[in-house]
Amino acid sequence: MGSDRTIEQIPYEDVNADVVRTMTETGRLYYIFLFLSMAGVVVLWGLPWAYQIYTGQGVTGLQTPAFWGIYLANFIFWIGISHSGTLLSAILFITQTPWRRSIYRSAEAMTFFSVMTASIFVFVHMGRPWNFYWTVPYPNQRGLWLNFMSPLMFDVFAISTYATSSMIFLYFGSIPDLAAVRDRVKGWRKEVYTVLSLGWRGTDAEWHWLTKAYTFFAVFIIPLAVSVHSIVSWDFALSKVPGLSKTIFAPYFVVGAIYSGSAGIVTLMIFLRRGLKIEKYITKTHFDKLGMLLVVMSLIWSYINVVEVFTGWYADTSFETESLRYRMFTPPFSYMYWLMIFTNTVMPLFLIFRKVRRSMAPALIISLGINVGMWIERYLIIATSLPRKFHPYMWNDYIPSLVEISITLGSFCFFTMMFLMFVKLWPSVSIYEVKEDIGIPFRTKKGHH
Amino acid sequence: MSSIFKRIKDKLADYRRPGYYKEFDYHWAIVVDIDRCNGCEACVVACYAENNIPVVGKKGCDDARIFNWIRIEKYIEGEYPDVRVKFIPIMCQQCDRAPCEIGCPVYATYHNQDGLNVQVYNRCVGTFTCATYCPYDVRRFNWFTYKPDKPLDEQLNPDVTVREMGVMEKCTFCIQRIRYAKDAAKDEERRVRDGEIKPACVQSCPTGALTFGDLKDPNSEVSRLARSRRRYRVFEELNADPSVIYLKRVMGNGKRSHD
Amino acid sequence: MKRRDFIKYLGAGGIGTAMGIFFGKNTKPPGAKLIPYLVPPEEIVPGVGAWYSTLCAQCGAGCGIIVKVMAGRAKKIEGNPLHPVSRGRLCAMGQAAPQGLYNPDRIKGPLKRAGSRGSESFMEVSWEEALRTLAENLAGLKVKGSAEGLYVLAPPLRGHLDALIRDFTATFGSPNYLPYDLFDNRNLAFANAVSMGMESLPHYDIENTRYLVSFGADFSSTWLSPVNLSYGYGQMRQGSPGVRGTLVQVEPRMSLTGANADEWVPARPGTEGLVALAMAHVIVAEGRYRGREARQWRSLLEAFSPVEVAKVSEVEEKRIERLAHEFASTRPSLAIGGDVLSGYTDGVSGLVAVNILNHVAGNIGVKGGVVPNPVDPFFSAPGRDFTRSISTVRDAAESGALKTLLTYNANPLFTTPDNLRLRESLDKVPFMASLSSFMDETTAMADLVLPVHHFLEDWADDFCSPSVGKPVATIMQPAVSPKYNTMGAGDVFLELARRLRHEREKALSGGTEILGEFMDERFSVKDFQEHLKRSWRELHAKDRRLSGGNPTFEGFWNRLLKDGGWWPEGAPMEKGPAVRVKDVAAYMPKGASMFEGEEAKHPFYLMVYPQAGLLDGRGANSPWLQELPDPMTSVVWGSWVEINPATAMKLGIKEGEMVTVESPYGKIDAPAYLYPGIRPDTVAVPIGQGHRSYGRYAKETGANPMDILPSLQDKGSGALSLNSTRVNVSRSPKPGWMVKIEATKKEYGREIVQTVTPEEFERMNKEAT
Ligand SMILES: Nc1nc2c(c(=O)[nH]1)N[C@H]1C(S)=C(S)[C@@H](COP(=O)(O)OP(=O)(O)OC[C@H]3O[C@@H](n4cnc5c(=O)[nH]c(N)nc54)[C@H](O)[C@@H]3O)O[C@H]1N2
Ligand code: SF4
Ligand code: SF4
Ligand code: SF4
Ligand code: SF4
Ligand code: SF4
Repeated sequence: MGSDRTIEQIPYEDVNADVVRTMTETGRLYYIFLFLSMAGVVVLWGLPWAYQIYTGQGVTGLQTPAFWGIYLANFIFWIGISHSGTLLSAILFITQTPWRRSIYRSAEAMTFFSVMTASIFVFVHMGRPWNFYWTVPYPNQRGLWLNFMSPLMFDVFAISTYATSSMIFLYFGSIPDLAAVRDRVKGWRKEVYTVLSLGWRGTDAEWHWLTKAYTFFAVFIIPLAVSVHSIVSWDFALSKVPGLSKTIFAPYFVVGAIYSGSAGIVTLMIFLRRGLKIEKYITKTHFDKLGMLLVVMSLIWSYINVVEVFTGWYADTSFETESLRYRMFTPPFSYMYWLMIFTNTVMPLFLIFRKVRRSMAPALIISLGINVGMWIERYLIIATSLPRKFHPYMWNDYIPSLVEISITLGSFCFFTMMFLMFVKLWPSVSIYEVKEDIGIPFRTKKGHH
Repeated sequence: MSSIFKRIKDKLADYRRPGYYKEFDYHWAIVVDIDRCNGCEACVVACYAENNIPVVGKKGCDDARIFNWIRIEKYIEGEYPDVRVKFIPIMCQQCDRAPCEIGCPVYATYHNQDGLNVQVYNRCVGTFTCATYCPYDVRRFNWFTYKPDKPLDEQLNPDVTVREMGVMEKCTFCIQRIRYAKDAAKDEERRVRDGEIKPACVQSCPTGALTFGDLKDPNSEVSRLARSRRRYRVFEELNADPSVIYLKRVMGNGKRSHD
Repeated sequence: MKRRDFIKYLGAGGIGTAMGIFFGKNTKPPGAKLIPYLVPPEEIVPGVGAWYSTLCAQCGAGCGIIVKVMAGRAKKIEGNPLHPVSRGRLCAMGQAAPQGLYNPDRIKGPLKRAGSRGSESFMEVSWEEALRTLAENLAGLKVKGSAEGLYVLAPPLRGHLDALIRDFTATFGSPNYLPYDLFDNRNLAFANAVSMGMESLPHYDIENTRYLVSFGADFSSTWLSPVNLSYGYGQMRQGSPGVRGTLVQVEPRMSLTGANADEWVPARPGTEGLVALAMAHVIVAEGRYRGREARQWRSLLEAFSPVEVAKVSEVEEKRIERLAHEFASTRPSLAIGGDVLSGYTDGVSGLVAVNILNHVAGNIGVKGGVVPNPVDPFFSAPGRDFTRSISTVRDAAESGALKTLLTYNANPLFTTPDNLRLRESLDKVPFMASLSSFMDETTAMADLVLPVHHFLEDWADDFCSPSVGKPVATIMQPAVSPKYNTMGAGDVFLELARRLRHEREKALSGGTEILGEFMDERFSVKDFQEHLKRSWRELHAKDRRLSGGNPTFEGFWNRLLKDGGWWPEGAPMEKGPAVRVKDVAAYMPKGASMFEGEEAKHPFYLMVYPQAGLLDGRGANSPWLQELPDPMTSVVWGSWVEINPATAMKLGIKEGEMVTVESPYGKIDAPAYLYPGIRPDTVAVPIGQGHRSYGRYAKETGANPMDILPSLQDKGSGALSLNSTRVNVSRSPKPGWMVKIEATKKEYGREIVQTVTPEEFERMNKEAT
């Protein structure tokens, strides 16, 4: 049985061929999905956004005092999704974990694309997006400067640094593979990969420097990623708003981010190995390990969630009580809340069983469930806190409008589109690192002994 | 090394300095005597008239996008027949440690020398952060381009900017009136006199519930009232240090010895 | 004088001449120039506001105001700080006045009916044609010898415009000049006239009282003189250190004033007057009454013992006694009555009862009590005519006696119960002309529409009533030049007089003299501004109080325009009249007021009241006022029905759901507002919404309770009895929605509005001193 074969048994030569094949051979289904996702980006995202820019933020369901809504929920959600890719890759790299090798490339890409998706939500959320550049420090005659006390300002820096670093991390790790691709393709591709591979020849010195740089970035990215989601959490935690102003938010958000990110990886890997027919590279061992990670993250996440509720309840102020009551016991939010508890606390417990971890269907359901749950978590934080602020006279319920829902769906199309394009333009499995995994006996040219 | 830390500390202090106004001439404040206020809402319309506040219509109100910079909150306690009703006018509290200010990434809302929380419409990019952070829910957003039906626009006050779509706004303490008075005082080389400035709401209030003035002047009417034993500030515990001071309503338990 | 000060209160001398306010047929729209003055007067600085003092005509209180004008446009209104009624303050309606001036639905020029009556199809005509049409119609009446077929309907005006219209109508040969306004305090004036012989409404000195009992009078919203009385209220509460007056409100539905009261006494509808009499009973019976006729009072009030009254009013006997004790022992104290109380079928009795209470407690003619207002002989305003009312118009129309109806700023089709059948009767009137700025329900019925200036563009004056214990005259002068092709109301009448005189001359040369005398020099002035000035010149010549400090008339006139009016300083208080047993005996209530409808079929009392800001519906075309949350319910842009939550629960009605309110006279639909401040056996609907015409903001917004009211009128005063029916309330299938601004009525213990108890307050004061 093919799928039972471990990576060690793949012939050395096949790796190059397999990976390049994922890039060059394309089925009809791919084009259909690509077209659908592109159409989704235009119709679900582009047009409604244009309408919103033209007409005003009034086309959203936002109102006083629920000034933040689904856009910011999406922002945090996508930043969260971005967390596992690069972070996991870096941690596993430093700890020299072997099963990292065949998944890290696409995980890093996932990071990059979700950061992109997230950042676009910053603009979607703005009242005057045409003035977006005012939020970055640039020299200007008017002597205007930015408010470095603002958590939003922290955001701008954190996210742009994070996006840049993850992009460089992804790129550095890909250089030898880009060279490998260069050596195997013809036509326009050849030229593109010649440029992209920066003249990589695989000399010892090159390997030496690449490893150095890569290690540096791996070390750099871990605190960065932790700081990014801490900072995102401060957008909320530094306010005074009941339900947002929580000291535990930074770790909560980081844990939630890793949690949702790992679940995102699982989902993505399931689709990837089927779609690109690379089951031999992404094996059940990977899902086994990721499943364990998910259980651990689920427990930590659930713990913090309980702590959050407990401290709120224990504080026994009208502010906290109402905010919790609204979130946990007022429909429709209560349905969402308890669904989230089910998907994020209860369901992952099944992953304790090895059998569940190693079968695709349950893994897919659980990982998707976690992501739905994590989205709900982000949504609830915003949609149930702001409508229950300090003045009961001003309480108002927030219901997202069609424009907001459409743009939300559009963001998933955008992410899918970017990823679909990525797998055709980039080696989505690391050729050189996978080879490190292959047992010595198989490192022959033809593979079989 | 320590000098570097000191410099960083000083720099940060520049960004956020509660009590900044203390180095300058005035600290404007409003004292609201809710024992006088009868909830008539003359102040609300006065503010609409003075500050070019847009009308949003029934749908807009339903969407909770009414623009009242000052609102009269009403709370009802008790059941029939022991019903107690309480009113309170809420406008921007001009917090000294304004939560809204730390939120704004572009300094579109900042603190001025007079202890006012100032909103710079031109600079605002519409991130909503200030409004989210404001504990008093006084900020209003231009969800659309609001235009009065012609010729109602002829009534617009030329001293006050008409805000464009996508920017945040709120009660300014009628800064245009403060500006006029300060200019006049400067021309005559004197301080602004107590009572010289009256924001539109204060001016209109039939019951005399609102008083505006300078807290730095210990003899001003607001300073006098602010020393009242009925003094309190809304959500004092949030430590936003508002410049709007309320005087408690005198109110029995509603039953007044039900014989 | 500093230039700034000069600009602050500009007299109109400047405007009238330099700004070219044209009257009569010279009226022309100023066009859309940035600065609409052809020749800017030297003192007008673009960008700097000029303040003009004038009169607020948004309601009948007669507040003096100042208007900030920049580049020829009215920008902001404030109270005239010199004016003793407004005292520099203003109410919401006054603030919204520019929205009438710049209302997009103002009538921009004269109109003549083109379609069937009431179809609102009009064609534009010139002033020449419009005035000729009206003049010819009037001449025709005269020729046919039916001059008394002319009826003129206007709000109760009190100045020289009133005199002019009265003169005009009388000279024409018709006695039928009728003042009409839904909330014109007819009952109060009548009750005061019969019980105290008072010809003018007194000043209720809330400011100086220490114990105020209000029987339904909602002075915080609309009653009598809201700005002045609210000022008084503020002063009563915290005006003098350490002394805080008490407010007790007796009414079945808690009004805004009730909400501010220290004690709310929800008496059964129609028994508030009995409660007042029971309090008087206690005072007299306990020998606290020291005045004359003690014995007679005792026997008159015999029947109104707290025990008896408690049975019908559902106010406990002990409570009445306590209130009476507090009322009698706190000095000064004051009882006022109005609004709900005045609206009952025996509203006059209720108001007389309040007067009796004030009398036995010794509150009439004292500071902090009922302060009589002088009846100034030189203003020579005739007393109110209680014999004729709006039903007079209906009857005249029915009988065919009404030939031509001239309405000025009056909208009886909206403000009278449908049951009065005014609409049907007016259909029979041969000719209707309306002098109005807006296409209201009555104007929509007219054959000829003569658009008049907005009050910020017009000349007039006012001798306000109630005043503040001394005469107060206010001048209305144009703050801006007319925006549209409109005419001043006074100018219309002067112009009509001129044309009728001309018709007469024509007729005379034909050998017959049939037209009345318009030769009188009263009518031969250029325009109403001249007329006004001349009238004041006469007053100045006649009255030493006016000429004393101002020897020359021009000086006096300029001061008048600059100050916004005339009011003597420190006038001595008039002596208080007494309430005599023989005068009031006929008005003693026989029991609770009567209500139409059987209790079984119509289990709830219906209370209607003027909505704050909209008053009798006139404010409904202002977007600001529509969007102003109602103080009690926070509802905007629509009507509502106030229902006690317990009642609503019984009926299965949730807040915001549409309900049908059905009286024996019809039904209306409006959303329910669950209001703990109303008796479970009572529902309330505000008046002001539900216009069929009146512009885009007013039209089809909410429901008009007038549709379901009986057309009962007080026999004595002729006032409509608005609170006179029972209704049934049920869920309605009609679509509709209620928008309210409050999210919840509860404070959730957040201590946003903090309070101290009266005891703590007293302790604080002791410690402070
Ligand atoms: N395309 C085009 N060109 C034009 C015109 C046009 O309409 N279109 N208009 C023309 C006209 S009418 C004019 S007046 C000119 C204006 O042209 P400029 O005179 O160049 O006017 P500003 O652009 O206002 O620049 C004045 C400079 O002075 C500085 N400044 C401000 N206050 C002070 C001060 O107190 N002291 C000193 N030393 N500097 C100060 C400002 O920072 C700014 O840098 O442009 C002319 N050029
Ligand atoms: S909405 Fe405007 S003022 Fe408020 S935080 Fe954003 S940019 Fe600043
Ligand atoms: S009340 Fe709100 S908007 Fe005003 S200063 Fe305070 S935080 Fe800022
Ligand atoms: S101070 Fe001025 S801006 Fe603020 S609420 Fe009053 S009128 Fe409005
Ligand atoms: S105008 Fe004065 S009395 Fe009326 S609601 Fe405003 S603060 Fe209160
Ligand atoms: S009470 Fe209000 S509407 Fe009436 S005259 Fe005075 S300001 Fe005008």
